[in-house]
Amino acid sequence: MNRVLRALWPVLSLMLLVAAIAVAASGGSEIVQRQVTYGLIELIAVVALYIFVGNSGLLSFGNVSFMAIGAYVSALLTMRPASKGMLLPGLPELISSAQWPVIPAAIAGGLVASAFAFLAGIPLMRLSGIAASIATFAVLEIVYIGAGNWTDVTGGQNSLIGLPIYSDIWVCLIWSLITIATAFIYQETRSGLLLRASREDIVAARAAGVNVHRHRLVSFVISAFFSGIAGVLLGHFLGTVRIETFYLDLTFAILAMLVVGGMGSLAGAVIGAIVIAVLTEALRRVEAGVDFGIFAVGALPGLGDAVLALAMLLIILFRPKGLSQGREITWPFRAERPSSSKNPSESLADGSRMAPRPMISKPES
Amino acid sequence: MTAQSSGNATATMGNPTPLLAVSDLQIKYGSITALRGLSIHVGGGEIVAVVGPNGAGKSSLLCAIAGVVPSAKGAITFLGKPLIGLSPEDILRRGIAMVPEGRHIFGSMTVDENLRLGATVRTDRGAIAKDIEELLETFPILRERRKQPAGRLSGGEQQQLAIARALLCKPRLLMLDEPSLGLAPIVIDQVYQILTMLRQRGMTILLIEQNATRALNTADRTYVLSAGSLRLSGTKTELLNNRDFDAAYFGVAEAETRVLP
Amino acid sequence: MINLVQNVVDGISVGSLYALTALGIGLIFGVMRLINVAHGELITAMGYTMLLFASQSVVVAMIGGMIAVVLLALVTERVAFRPLRSADPATLLVASFAVSFFLQKSIALVIGYRPKGINILPSLGQQVVVFGVRLQLLKMATIAVVAVMLILLTWFLKRTRFGLEMRAAAENFRMAQLLGIRGNRVIAMAFALSAILAAAVAVLFISQSGFLTPRMGLQLVVIAFVGTVIGGLGSLVGAAAGGFFVGATTVFLQAVLPPDLRQLREAFVYLVVILVLLLRPQGLFPASGLKERV
Repeated sequence: MNRVLRALWPVLSLMLLVAAIAVAASGGSEIVQRQVTYGLIELIAVVALYIFVGNSGLLSFGNVSFMAIGAYVSALLTMRPASKGMLLPGLPELISSAQWPVIPAAIAGGLVASAFAFLAGIPLMRLSGIAASIATFAVLEIVYIGAGNWTDVTGGQNSLIGLPIYSDIWVCLIWSLITIATAFIYQETRSGLLLRASREDIVAARAAGVNVHRHRLVSFVISAFFSGIAGVLLGHFLGTVRIETFYLDLTFAILAMLVVGGMGSLAGAVIGAIVIAVLTEALRRVEAGVDFGIFAVGALPGLGDAVLALAMLLIILFRPKGLSQGREITWPFRAERPSSSKNPSESLADGSRMAPRPMISKPES
Repeated sequence: MTAQSSGNATATMGNPTPLLAVSDLQIKYGSITALRGLSIHVGGGEIVAVVGPNGAGKSSLLCAIAGVVPSAKGAITFLGKPLIGLSPEDILRRGIAMVPEGRHIFGSMTVDENLRLGATVRTDRGAIAKDIEELLETFPILRERRKQPAGRLSGGEQQQLAIARALLCKPRLLMLDEPSLGLAPIVIDQVYQILTMLRQRGMTILLIEQNATRALNTADRTYVLSAGSLRLSGTKTELLNNRDFDAAYFGVAEAETRVLP
Repeated sequence: MINLVQNVVDGISVGSLYALTALGIGLIFGVMRLINVAHGELITAMGYTMLLFASQSVVVAMIGGMIAVVLLALVTERVAFRPLRSADPATLLVASFAVSFFLQKSIALVIGYRPKGINILPSLGQQVVVFGVRLQLLKMATIAVVAVMLILLTWFLKRTRFGLEMRAAAENFRMAQLLGIRGNRVIAMAFALSAILAAAVAVLFISQSGFLTPRMGLQLVVIAFVGTVIGGLGSLVGAAAGGFFVGATTVFLQAVLPPDLRQLREAFVYLVVILVLLLRPQGLFPASGLKERV
C-alpha cells in the first residue's frame, strides 16, 4: 500500500492541491470563483504544454494555436444554427446545422486540435532544437493569420458569440485533474520515458534504436489535445471566441508559467501556473489602484504583464530550472525497508573516467 | 609565491625556478574527477610532454592552465605569479599561448587575417609586420596561401598556421594539445621538426599527446598521466628503461602485470 | 507599367528595411548564438524617444534617440544576457523573449497601447518624378540609407580591427578568447552596433508609417527574424538577403494576389520558413565557415 502511495504521490499531491484550491474558492465570492476558474483553464494549458516541452525538451510556441482550434471547433459545434447560417456562410452544411451537446463538442475540439498537430508534427518533429521551436512559432502565425482571414468559416477578425457558458469551477477542475493525471500517466509510459531519454542525448537515443520522431509526435499530439481542451474551456468561459485571444500574449503567459515553475517536471507546470495566477491576480489589484491608507497608488494598467516578464527573467537568471528545479513532489516519509541501491559513485567503473569535454566543443553532425 | 616542484622532478636545464609550476591540481566536471592532485613543472627552454591514454586528464590540464576550465583545488604559477582565476584573454597576455586540439583556425578568414588575429594583444605595429614576414619565412607554405581562406588549407598546413598564429603573440610558453591529431606521419614529422627548431630558438613548449613515441623522442622530459594521476616522469632514456612504462601508460596496476604471464 | 515600377521600388524599399532589421538580429546571433527578440524593443524605444525629442530638431532627436537605444542595448546585454552566455539555446531564446516582453510591457505601462502619431522628416513625404514615374522620396531615401549603412557595416567588418575581432568571435568564440580577444568587449560592441541599426530602422519606419505603437518593433522583428532563418542565421549576408527576400515578397504578393487572399501573404512567408527549416536548415545563403547551425 505504501509503495503504491509513494509511486503515485507525485501526481496525487498535485491533484489534491488543485482540488483543494478549487473547493476553497467555491465558497468564495463570484469574482473569486471566476478568477480561479480562469486560473484552472490556464493550468490546463500549461500542463498541456508541459506534456510536450517537458518530455521532449523542445520549446513549442504553437500550442496556443491548438487552443484556438479547439475553441473554434467547439464554438462552431455548439452555436445555434440560426446564427451560424447567417454569419458564417462558408461552413459546410453538416456543421452549420448542427448543435451538439457540450461534452462531445469539447472532445471534438481536442481531437481536431490533435489531428492538426499530428499533420503538422509529421514534418516538424524531424527538426531539432531551435529549428523545431521556430517552426512551431510559424505554425502559430499561420493559424493566427489563417483563422483571422477565413471570415466565412471562423468569423475572421470578429468574435464568435453566443457560446453556451458552461466552464464553471467544477467543470474546469475535473478537466484539470484529468489533464494532470494524463500527463503523469503519459510520462511513465514507455514512450514517455524513451522520449525523456532522448531529451538528454539525442544521438545516444537514436543510436540505441529509439524512434525519436515517433515518440515526439505522440507527445505533441497528446499535448495538442489538452491544449485544445483548454481552448474549448476558455471559449465557453468567455462566451466568445476571438482569434486575437490566441496569439502572442497568451503564448507568453503560458510559457512564463511553465518556465517559472520549471519546465522539467509536472510539479513545475502546476506550481508555475498557481504561482503566476496568484501573482497576476495580486498585481491586477495594484493595477487598479490601491489605497494603502497613508498613500494611494494610482491605476497602472499593464503592470501585471511587466512584472510577469520580470519574474520570468529573474527565474531564468537565478533559478533556471524553475521553482520546482525539475523535480516532482515526493512522498515525504521514509521507505519501510532501507533502499538497496547505492548512489552511483563518481566514476563510471573503477578507474575509468569520463573524458573531459574538448575545450572548444566540436559541432555535432 | 614560490613554485613547488613535483616529487619526481629531474633537474631542469640549470633554471631552479620553473617557468610554469602546477601543484596539486584537481579538476572536476560535476561529480567526475578528471585530474586528481597533479603536480608538474616546466622549465625555461624545455620541451615537456604529457602523454597518456584517452581520458587521462591531459586536455583538462592544458585547459586549466589556459584558463578555460576552472580548477577545484591546487595552484598554477607562471613566472612566479598565480594563474588560477584569470580569464583566457588575460592568461594569454601573461605570455602563454595555446594551440588547441583540432587547430581551430578561422576557416572563413584568409591566412593573413588569421595571422593578424594572432597579434591581437600586441600594439607594436611595425614589429608585428616584421614578425609576420619572419613567420612566413619559417612557414613558406603560408606565404603561398596568404590570401586564401584558411579553411582550404590541408591539415598539416592548418597546424602550421595555428602554430604561427600562436607564435605571433610572442609567448613565453607555447602549449599544444595533440598536435599530431589527424595528420599523416610525414606531416607529423614536419610539425615536430618545427617544435624542435622553436626550442633551439629558446621557446618553452608544453605539449600533450596520445601518441607517446613521437612526444617522447622530441621532449626533454615527459610526464605519463593515466586516469587523472601522474604515473611516471623522466627523460626519454629514463622512461624507456622503466619496465613500468607501458603499464603506467595504460593505467594497469603493478600487481596485475606480475600476475599475467 | 508605371504601377510596376512603383511596386518594384516599393518592394526594394520594404525589403531594404527588413534587411537592415535582420542584420541587427544576425549580428547578435553571430557572436552569441542568441536570437535577440528584444531587438524589436530597441526599434520601439527609438521611436518613442524621438517622440520625446519632438520639439527639437530632427537631427538632435535622432542623435539623442540613438544614444538612448545604444545604452538600452548595452544594459540588456550586461544584465540579462551576459550571465547566460554559456546557457543552452532554448534558455537563451526564452530569456530574450522575457526581455522583449518586459521592455514592451514597460513601455506600454508608461505610454499605453494606443497609437501615437509622429511626424518626422515631413519633407521626405513628397513625391518626385523619375523617368516619368511618380515615386515617393521617402522610399528612395530608405533604399539609399540602407545601402549606405550596408556599405559602412561591410567596411567596418572587413577593414577594421574591431570588425576582424568580431568576425573571429562570431566564428569561434573560445578560440578568439585564446588569442586574447576580449569576449565581453566584442559582444558589447555587437550590441551597440545592432542598436545603431535598430535606430536607423526606426527612423525609416516611422517616417513612413507616421505613428508609434508599443508593438511596432516586435512586429518588424518577427518578420525580419523569419527572414534571417530563410537566408541563413549564421551569416550576415544570409540575414540581410533573407530579410530582403521576405520584405520584397510581401510587397510582391500584395500586388499580385487577388484581394481576398492578400491578407494571407504573411502566412505564405511562414510556410516558406517551415519549408526552409525542413529542406535546407542552414538557410539559402549559409556562412562559409559556419559549423553550428540552428
